[in-house]
Amino acid sequence: MSEVASGKKGAPAIDMTPMVDLAFLLIAFFMLATTLAKPKAMEILKPAKKEKDTKDDPVVNKGRVMSILLGENDKIYYYQISDEDLAKGNLKVDSTDFSAKGVRGAIRFRQDAVAADPRFGNKDSLIVLIKGAPKAKYKNMVDILDEMRISKVKSYALVDRDKVDTAIMENIGLLKK
Amino acid sequence: MSKTKHIVDVKRQNIRMDMTAMCDVGFLLLTFFILTAKFKPNEPVKVDIPMSGAVTNIPAKDILLISVGDDGRIFLGVDDKPTRNAMLDEISKRYNFTVDGNMQKRFANLDQFGVPLEQLPALLKLNPEESNSYVQPGLKCNPDAKILPGQTGSDTAKNQLGELIVIARSLNDRLVIAVKADKGANYDKVDAVIETLRKTNSNRFNLVTSVKNEKE
Repeated sequence: MSEVASGKKGAPAIDMTPMVDLAFLLIAFFMLATTLAKPKAMEILKPAKKEKDTKDDPVVNKGRVMSILLGENDKIYYYQISDEDLAKGNLKVDSTDFSAKGVRGAIRFRQDAVAADPRFGNKDSLIVLIKGAPKAKYKNMVDILDEMRISKVKSYALVDRDKVDTAIMENIGLLKK
Repeated sequence: MSKTKHIVDVKRQNIRMDMTAMCDVGFLLLTFFILTAKFKPNEPVKVDIPMSGAVTNIPAKDILLISVGDDGRIFLGVDDKPTRNAMLDEISKRYNFTVDGNMQKRFANLDQFGVPLEQLPALLKLNPEESNSYVQPGLKCNPDAKILPGQTGSDTAKNQLGELIVIARSLNDRLVIAVKADKGANYDKVDAVIETLRKTNSNRFNLVTSVKNEKE
């Protein structure tokens, strides 16, 4: 008697393993593609807009301020120049770049200098003011804000250029006179 | 009889697992993930966002997104559909144009737009194929201009971005502002957007960045 005639039905066993493998591979792909690509936010809080400066504005000792100017082609200029220096025409500016030794080193140097100053005594007293040349790239702005976080600078702000910054930008050629 | 011999001698049973159930679960999950995955919205401007070490998440809804392309063109979009519809009504009132059902539908599907508001009706009248190839010139954003409703005056002295922000925030006070600018956008363009935000008293906003793996 042949097997077919016996009517004994063998259940057709299909090996599902590769199919399961494929299914789980696709699941893994969709999970990663949907959750890992989420962008993150850098929160910015600006002070409310005022019509003009008032006498109540706090006066800050220039010794604890560091100005950072974002230039073109990923260059950074940093300086501490008071109004008196500007009047004397003493516009000494250092420049650096976004490498780990560059701007991070410059910030650390200023933090240490502020910490060593008996008037301040603490590296958190450093105030960093960030300004940008019109042709500086947005990437640099995000990078420098990131750098503030990495260097744990407690007080920093994105500010408009004042007359000292304008003079420096004109001097370097970032702004037309 | 050695020990190894003994192991070999054991009659092995062929283990067969029924994979059907596992397969079912696998495909069920797969279907779930495919259906919940969001498609990338059709953006009028390509924005390559910079990387940062920021860790804050962006909320999933009620976002007012301002995009800045690398050429400095500015676009605005609100994800909440009711707010979007109400915005179109308000804009049409201020700029004196009538909105038909077709235009309403087109605006509801525009995730972002960037044309001077006077040209908005023309943009909404384009059919979908035409609008895909149409290059939008970007919103007018002069940070020095006063933000006035239905702004008149010369072309440069307008801040329609500011006007739109005021409209959107008055219609939906839960809106979170996100600025998504291209790596290569110039600082003065981004600064104009930030100044406009300050002028509209939107002092808290988010810069959209992608995740950087830090090797510190």
